[in-house]
Parts: sequence; C-alpha cells; structure tokens
Amino acid sequence: MAREGKSTEVKLSHTAALILQALDAGFVYGFSIMEMTGLPSGTVYPAMRRLESDALIRSNWERQSIADAEQRPARKYYKLTAAGKTTLEASRKRYPLLERLIPTGEAKTV
Amino acid sequence: MRPWLERANRLLQLGFLRCASLLVPDRQRAEWRREWRAELWHVRQERSPEGAVSWHGEREVTAFCLGAFQDAFCIRRSGRQEKPDFPAMEGTARQCMMAFVVMLVASYILSLLLPGVRAERSLWSRKVNANLVLIQQFDGDGSQATISPRQLRRWEERKQKYFDGFAFYRVTQEIVGVEDASPGPQNKSRSKVRWGVARASVNLFALLGIPVQFGEAGGTPRGDLPGVILSERTWKSEFRADAHVAGAVVHLGSHVVRIAGVAPDGSLDLPGHADAWLLDPEVESGPGADGYVIAHLTPAGSAEIWASRVHITARGPDQSEEDLMGVCVEDWHPTPQGLYLFALFLAVLSLPAITAVSLGESSPSLQQTSWLGRLRRWSFLVFKIALLLPIVYFLSLDLAYGCTTLGREQAGLVQLFSTFSMCLFGMRWVLKDQRQRCPVCLRRVVHPAQVGQASRTFLAWNGTEMMCMGGHTLLHVPSLPTSWFGTQRWLYLDPSWAFLFVGKSAGMENEAISGLL
Repeated sequence: MAREGKSTEVKLSHTAALILQALDAGFVYGFSIMEMTGLPSGTVYPAMRRLESDALIRSNWERQSIADAEQRPARKYYKLTAAGKTTLEASRKRYPLLERLIPTGEAKTV
Repeated sequence: MRPWLERANRLLQLGFLRCASLLVPDRQRAEWRREWRAELWHVRQERSPEGAVSWHGEREVTAFCLGAFQDAFCIRRSGRQEKPDFPAMEGTARQCMMAFVVMLVASYILSLLLPGVRAERSLWSRKVNANLVLIQQFDGDGSQATISPRQLRRWEERKQKYFDGFAFYRVTQEIVGVEDASPGPQNKSRSKVRWGVARASVNLFALLGIPVQFGEAGGTPRGDLPGVILSERTWKSEFRADAHVAGAVVHLGSHVVRIAGVAPDGSLDLPGHADAWLLDPEVESGPGADGYVIAHLTPAGSAEIWASRVHITARGPDQSEEDLMGVCVEDWHPTPQGLYLFALFLAVLSLPAITAVSLGESSPSLQQTSWLGRLRRWSFLVFKIALLLPIVYFLSLDLAYGCTTLGREQAGLVQLFSTFSMCLFGMRWVLKDQRQRCPVCLRRVVHPAQVGQASRTFLAWNGTEMMCMGGHTLLHVPSLPTSWFGTQRWLYLDPSWAFLFVGKSAGMENEAISGLL
C-alpha cells in the first residue's frame, strides 16, 4: 500500500482498495470484510490499521447497550472518511473491477 | 468433536490471541484484545457454533486467530515509527553534550565510591607540616638512632627559641601475631610475622600533620587497647589493603593492641623503616635506647635553614656544647593535581604531533555562517574541552587510586600515563569531531562516500564527501592534500537540495542548537 502525502493522489494496493470498496458497500467490521473479500485475517486487519493511520477510514466502538441487548460482545466498526471516499473514487478508476467484485449496497447486515 | 477437545481447542485459540497481544504496545493492548475477542466470538458463531462444532470450522477459527500475530506485528512496527525516535538525536550537539555529562557524573561518582580514591582525597586537605627537621648527629647520615630519651627530655624542659615541638620514636623488631578478622568460627588463626615497630610519642602524627586513613574517629583507638597505626606498605602486604582494617587486634610481642588506622606512604619517609607505629606516652619517660627526634621549628628557627639543613648547638647537663644537625623532613611526593596538570601540559604539547589542530574552517564559503553560528560552534568546542578535562581527571584518579594494592609511586605513574593518554586522544577526538560538525546545525556529517580515484588525485577530485542530515552542508575531505585542495571544505547546499531531506531537516537544527545554548 502506498503511503504518500494526504493532499496528493494516494495510490492504493489492490487489497487496500478492495477493503475500502467493502467498507463502502456496507461491510463495516473486520470479519465481514474477510467474508466478503476472501482475504485472511492476517491481511485484512493490518491493512485496516494502515488505512486508519492514513486517515482513509476511522473506527468507533459499538454502544455496549446494543451489544448487551443482543447478548454478544461489542464490536468495532469502521467507516470511510472523506479522504477515503476520494481515494476510493481514484482507485475505482485504477481498478475497474472493484465495483463488480463488491457492488455498493451489497451488505445485508450491519 | 468431543467436548474436552473442543474446550482445549478454544483455550488454544485464546492462547494465540493472548500471545499475540504481548507484541502490541502496552497503551494499545487492551483495546486490541477487546476487538479481537469480539471478532473471535463472531467468527466462532459463524464457523463453529455451539452444538455444531466441526474440525473444519475449528480449523478456520484457529487460522483466524493466527492472523492476529500479523496484525500485532503491524501495530508494533507502526508504533515504532511513531515514536519520537532517538535517531533524530543522533549526531546532534545535544547528544554529544549529554554523553559528556553522563561520563563526567559517572567518573565523579566512581571516585566517590572507591575507597582508595576517598582516602587519597582525604590527604589533600592536610599536608605534612612545613619547618620540620629530623635532629641527628652533626656528622651522621640520619639513618642511625642517636638521640636518647633523656637528652630529649632535657630539651623539652628548657625554654626553646628555635623549636616549639618535639616528637620521639624508636624502632625495634618485634614478632607480631595478626588475628584473622574475618567473621566466622571462633577459633581464629593467628599468623606470626616480624615487623619493625616504632614506639612513638603520642604527638608524632599531629606534629607531622599526617592524617590517619581508614581509622575511626581520627585514628583514636577503640576500647581500652592501645592503638597501632600501620604503614601503608604493611597494610597492603599483610592486610591486602582492607579498607575496614581499623579495629583488628594485633599481638605485638607480649602486648595486645588494636589497629587504629593507616599512615599513608610518602608522608613518612622517616629513618628506621617502621612497619607500624605504636603511640606510647611512656616512650620519652623511660631510660630506653636511642631513637629519632622530629622537631618543629619556630619562625626564628626556620630562618636559620640553609640548604634544607639547620645547624643546632645543644647544651649538655654540664653546660658542654654538642653540635647537631637538623635535616628538613619534606613530603616530596607530587600531588595528584600536580601530576594531572603536568600530564595535561605534555598532552597539549604533543597534540600537534598526532593531529592537525586546525578546525578546517578556512573554507572560502565560511562567510555564509553568521557570527552567531560561529559563536555557537566555538562555544561547543569550549564546552567539550571543559567537560573532557574533569572527566579525564576523575577517571585518572579512579584508575590510579582505585586499586589500593598499588604503591603510591606506582599509582602516581598510572595517573601520569592515563592522564596523558586520555588528554591526548580525547583532545584529538574533540578536534576531529569538531571538524565534522555542520557549521549551521552542529550535527555530525554522515554517510561518507568515496569519490574519485587515488590514481587521479592530481588530475581530478579524489576524497570523501559527507552530508549533513539537516540538509545544510556537504563536507569535502581530500584523501591526499594538494596545493589546490589542502584542507577540508564545506559546501553550503541551496534550497534545490531540500527534497532529499523532507521530514528530516525541519526543526532538527533548531532542536540541536537550542539544546546546546
């Protein structure tokens, strides 16, 4: 994954672009992205750390009350930032198959 | 899958997560664990739910957990990059000064901790009294004891114009039993040796002005046993320079005495070669054999000294006159400070022989440095030298006097050579370091690159180029000085070079310089 200046055009690797596309499609936590992209956990989570440190995505914890109500642990959700959306647009031009692999609005659950 | 196997598998998966979490920096670990455990719960629900556990599902869950290690490594690596890294300090003036200060503090603390150096330091405040003479026969050489206690008593009873204090001692050979003072069983061994024991007036050491080392309460004996003061030579040979020797019991012939301290060598080059000094108030009163007399001269008496000698005429009981000679007793041993200054002087004299003393600032482009920059550069050099000198001083003391088994003269030699070597090579390093400091930010130039070929020295540039990581300068050092390129030169980089130093130069020089001044 390229980590250049944020103001200039950022060139992402295919994996990183795929993860951004999955997030944009509504797959907002690590395991769902793994499921969607078919990438292993050892690839997806580190890639998301880098995307987050490059401010292309941001994360926030689910409210504990919601998790308690559903009797499961609270999970961490990821979301595209404005810079992430711009970068994703540029990546789609670079990788035209992205949208075919993961169409926007594909996610069934959040 | 059997329930116990399922439980073991889950424990193993949790163990993987726990181990991987140890790789994550402390401040991020709790949140990292929380996220992975939550994800694991969902993975397990999806792949290996309760009641439908399968080998395939468990294998996928385990593979998921193993991915945590890669994630943890990733966080660890990025954490390292984010740290305010020490490499930014590398080569800066601040780092150099900090290293010097640490060395200075360490060497000073070491000198405070080493008993030998402490003892040596205690001697500095007190020196052998001036105007002391050893009274001997006029034609004698001073090695023979010639003054009887009766004669001394007669002198003391009369009012003296030229002397205001006398001390007497007599040396006899005695068999001495030294008890093993080490803690342990009661049946302590006692070794027998032959010592030259000087029975001396109680005021001998006060008259000489010699401090007693390693003693208790200024060398006063503990308990009701008389005190004996060891010579430094005896202390080292018989007691292995034990700093806690005071209080040990010694059998001097039929007397039992206790060691009260150690008299330093050099200060006691008195005839008789005594191994121990027994302060005995009775030594002057009895008839006894002849001994040696030390006398302190009054100002009127010291005015009579000629060539370290003074002629004395003593009157006997029958008013007969006896010619005696007073020979000055002097502590001729050089002090550590004197040795240090002498070695420093020699090192300064020798320095041009091993390095160029020029700072390589004769570059025509030097005018690009402001006067403030030049002031900083010179101040840095002065600070380095000012810190180097006390470091060398304390280290030389540690080396010379830290080892208490060395004799005083040997210790002096060790101090002389160590001071000379450290000053010489230390100042050489200081000058070399100064020559390789960027005139703008005082960082050391790095990344030496050999340019040119030795065979083309007189046709083209051949030398080494080094670069300031702040992006200010390039240093050219010729491999072989020529008439057209004799010394190193600084090339000041213009802004077109800035792209090479993006993210490195900003604030670097300010940090380095503000830390210095």
